Amino acid sequence: MSPSHARSSQLRRRTLSASFGIVLVGIMVFAGASAANAESYDPITGTGSTWSQNALDQWRKNVASNYGMTVNYSGTGSSAGRRDYIGGTVDYAVSEIPFQANPEDGSPAEIPPRGYAYMPIVAGGTSFMYNLKIGGQRVSNLRLSGDTVTKIFSGAISKWNDPVIAADNPGLAMPDKTITPVVRSDGSGSTAQFTLWMSKQYPSIWTTGMTSIFPGLAGSKGQSGSSGVAGYVSQDYGEGSITYVEYSYALEAGFPVAKILNAAGYYVEPTSSSVAVALLQAQIAGDLTQILDGVYNNADPRTYALSSYSYMIVPTEVGGVFTVGKGKTLSTFAKYMLCEGQQQAADLGYSPLPMNLVIAGFTQVARIPGTAVPAFDPSSCNNPTFKPGEDPNNNLLAQTAPQPATCDKRGPDQCTTGTGGASATETAISGTGNGGSASGSATGSSSASGASTTAYDEYGNSVSGGTGVAGAVSASPFTLAQDSWGTPQNIMLAAGLFVVLAAVVPPFVAPQMQRLMQKRKR
Amino acid sequence: MSEGSRFQSIEDVLISNSRTPVLEGEREHDRKENHEPVSGRRSLVSKPSRSDSVFRNVSYAAGMATVGIMLAVGVFLTLRASDALSVAGFSFLTEQEWSPETQKFGIAAVLFGTITIALIALCVSVPLSLGAALLISEIVSPKVRTALITLVDLMAAVPSVIFGLWGVFYLQANVIPVSQWISTNFGWIPIFRVSNAAGELATEASAFTSSAFIAGIVVGLMVVPTQTSVMREAFSQTPMGEREGALALGSTRWGMIQTVVLPFGRGGIIGGVMLGLGRALGETIAVYMIISPIFVINWELLKTGTNSVSSLIALRYGESSQFGLSALMAAGLVLFLITLAINFTASSIVARSRSGAESG
Repeated sequence: MSPSHARSSQLRRRTLSASFGIVLVGIMVFAGASAANAESYDPITGTGSTWSQNALDQWRKNVASNYGMTVNYSGTGSSAGRRDYIGGTVDYAVSEIPFQANPEDGSPAEIPPRGYAYMPIVAGGTSFMYNLKIGGQRVSNLRLSGDTVTKIFSGAISKWNDPVIAADNPGLAMPDKTITPVVRSDGSGSTAQFTLWMSKQYPSIWTTGMTSIFPGLAGSKGQSGSSGVAGYVSQDYGEGSITYVEYSYALEAGFPVAKILNAAGYYVEPTSSSVAVALLQAQIAGDLTQILDGVYNNADPRTYALSSYSYMIVPTEVGGVFTVGKGKTLSTFAKYMLCEGQQQAADLGYSPLPMNLVIAGFTQVARIPGTAVPAFDPSSCNNPTFKPGEDPNNNLLAQTAPQPATCDKRGPDQCTTGTGGASATETAISGTGNGGSASGSATGSSSASGASTTAYDEYGNSVSGGTGVAGAVSASPFTLAQDSWGTPQNIMLAAGLFVVLAAVVPPFVAPQMQRLMQKRKR
Repeated sequence: MSEGSRFQSIEDVLISNSRTPVLEGEREHDRKENHEPVSGRRSLVSKPSRSDSVFRNVSYAAGMATVGIMLAVGVFLTLRASDALSVAGFSFLTEQEWSPETQKFGIAAVLFGTITIALIALCVSVPLSLGAALLISEIVSPKVRTALITLVDLMAAVPSVIFGLWGVFYLQANVIPVSQWISTNFGWIPIFRVSNAAGELATEASAFTSSAFIAGIVVGLMVVPTQTSVMREAFSQTPMGEREGALALGSTRWGMIQTVVLPFGRGGIIGGVMLGLGRALGETIAVYMIISPIFVINWELLKTGTNSVSSLIALRYGESSQFGLSALMAAGLVLFLITLAINFTASSIVARSRSGAESG
């Protein structure tokens, strides 16, 4: 290399490093300025439930950008979260199960060394996604009563044409097909909420009690994660299977969910409003744990019976890693979750917490040491289920949640309208019962109309809905996307080519680059 | 033999230095040339320079730390597992059920599943990797060889969760017809039979999902890169002279591979297979996503339901009580010991084959 050449390259290097330094300093200045503008919050850390993780992750992101607050959370599982809380290594934990005073297996009792309170954070319904066909046509209006569900998941019923299922579905000629219950193979909050409901409502059928890990069941399939169970059911080989999963997964997969019979005698779909209506009857016990019997047996016809919520375990005493400074962060974050955060609950696949649970949550927030939220103030709480100044017993949710259609009432009529992710699919009447449409059901206290006259085309598909206010609902048989060549396929081809190029090009280019470099040096 | 090639390594130098009388004449000659004053015996104590001693200490520390960490893992697992092991005793190895809540648990079924998945994986991966290694080292031109090596290394860099996703959402649906075909045509062999609850031959697609066979195929594809690179390395060390000799004697390319390359690389093949086995036994996430865990020994490999130690731990640890966690640690300890034994065997075989001792 000639001296002048060397000097110029040295110069270039120096310029480069200098400009890099300027950029770095700029970033630091910018970061410092933005941090100084916001009120300062100590970062807080928590672990626990995977069931609530989607909601918490969204909220963490929001408070980070809105308040400059650092909230860390890792979904390691409810039990792991409670363990971490006892160990004092986290500021808060999220769990579906309270601390276990008498663990079955002889482990030591879970007694946290510092005070704690249970604060509701997010609600949801356990929905039952299924894949069932009658004569090659997908069923999208299955109805099940609570004991039928329990029997399916405890192995007492193994065929879809069992008389118990047929009794729930007068409009469907159930096929002689084996039921494959798909359960979570990992420990999960969904399993805990589902088994809690079964053990409370049908203790004679379900004898295993509440558990986060689904007990072994002959003929069942274990799959990991919500996407795993939903993925299994939605495959072709998943025909005849049913699983319990969050409602949002059924919507995403384009599959229907079963309507479950409630105490008022209506089969109801687990929409976010029917879950919220059910939770209006949630009670909080003396030890602050949830009592859901009122929810399961809620007499409101709009109730989805399998509704529950998960709670955050918040400290009421300073200890472990928790300090008064962190109490300020935690209480502000809690207020955000109970109010604004609930606006996004439905989009994230959960249900918003109703007013009674929000008030209960605020009582617990007020007990956090160093709390920045002293008392519940409905005027500053932007929760979608109530408006400022409303009474907990008569609020926005109670007034606006839609009533079920009359064809959803227990009896010979069965709505043909689809549910969940298959709401556009009607199911033809194949049984002895009559049809009806649940679409366009009225809101408020007026009852919706359902009609028992449905027109059919030559294939037996219903081509119109009821004759009432429901209006015509034309049939659009549910079809999966055809395997044609489209944009996704193009993208995949491009990705494949890119990988091949990434492997093939470097060995060919490298020697030539080297030769080039050598030539330059000379 | 030339002067330069006399000493093979530093040990040889030291040995020959200590044999002073033999070299005396030579040294006398050196001294005369350099006009050095003749003194007594030359001091052979070397005083290490600073950089030498720093390097030596750092390497010692790194080596010791590695061994120490391995031991610490073993000790930690043993300590944490002791709670569960003291309850279960020897039945931990024979019991099939896994229910720490009722103090009835053992790893017979889980271990059986782990080993079947690993063996199926080897049945898939060994032919593939042997073929790929021979192709790369013997057949293709040097340019294509570099590209293929990069491609294989790239495959090794694919995270196992990707393999798992692919296995669940793509491969499973496509393997089911294969499983069905094998089971209908070879159902008379007990391990290929798939029977339903009534003991009849099952034909429903759902009887073939989430099986050890599918998990084994996916894990097999994951260990192919490891095995390929170990085997290729061994093959590429075959002495050129022996290859040329075989070709000169009129053998075909296959004849040369058969008589020279394969015998020479035998140690590499065995070592690669064992390393792959070690990895297949410990594979977690892909298995976790595919299998439907059961706690009975399932001899019907194509039938739904199997289990593996590492996926059991991954599935259960988040929601386990303190005692349940101890039981999982015990399962982990067993897997740790098995993997350790396999890897030690593998590395000793690989090390032995380096010298070409097997070429005989």
